[in-house]
Amino acid sequence: MAESRSSGGGGGGRPISASQRPTGGDKAIAGGKKTYFRRKKVCRFCVERIDDINYKDVKMLHAFVAERGKIVPRRISGVCAPHQRRLTDAIKKARNIALLPFAASY
Amino acid sequence: MNRIYEELFIVKPDVLDEEVDTYVEQLRTQLTTAGATVDKVDKWGKRKLAYRIDKYREGTYVLFQFTGPADIVREFERRLRVSDQVLKFLTVRIDENLKRLEKRKKARDKRAAKRAANAPASPAPAQPSMAQMMTEAPGGPMPGQPKGEA
Repeated sequence: MAESRSSGGGGGGRPISASQRPTGGDKAIAGGKKTYFRRKKVCRFCVERIDDINYKDVKMLHAFVAERGKIVPRRISGVCAPHQRRLTDAIKKARNIALLPFAASY
Repeated sequence: MNRIYEELFIVKPDVLDEEVDTYVEQLRTQLTTAGATVDKVDKWGKRKLAYRIDKYREGTYVLFQFTGPADIVREFERRLRVSDQVLKFLTVRIDENLKRLEKRKKARDKRAAKRAANAPASPAPAQPSMAQMMTEAPGGPMPGQPKGEA
């Protein structure tokens, strides 16, 4: 854990955090006292066991689009790949029927 | 081969409520005569659109769910396209997704049952949390009617 942290401080954090994800997830939760500068992200759909990512559930989808209407990338939201795929699908459907904006204007 | 479809369409906001109802009835009878079974018709009511369509900023959303062969959709969509009340529509085939969800739910139930059977020694801490999860799971995926923002 310590070595990965020191190396993480040195270079770009993204590849390291990505390689840490499969193994380091539990450790980070177990050792919650250690305050990392980066919080471990978990997939909301896995945690809450949401199987159905529906395009009609606008309230839920709103959490995964940015202010401008863009889809929030996985590296920010922490959603796992299979769920992100379904989420993208749902958001695009919702856009098509004007439930979500393609591009929000101010 | 029958498939389950979902059709969500937007009716112009200046169309009266009764007119929408008659239009919905028309569509419903058209579907049933064409050989489909209408499973659900849901009027969401007036909702703000996320973007402007034909200079309208809001519209009445109507959701159809029906089961039928594939060529029914073509006729249904043609009708929606021809109608001057409808702003936009979206057809989604949902039977495969429903099947997948059912499978997942079954697997999940099985796993939960197995876990409950395997760990009778400590049922007190394990069981309530699992039960809670299970009650949460079916409630979660149901698409809430997005009326609150309308």
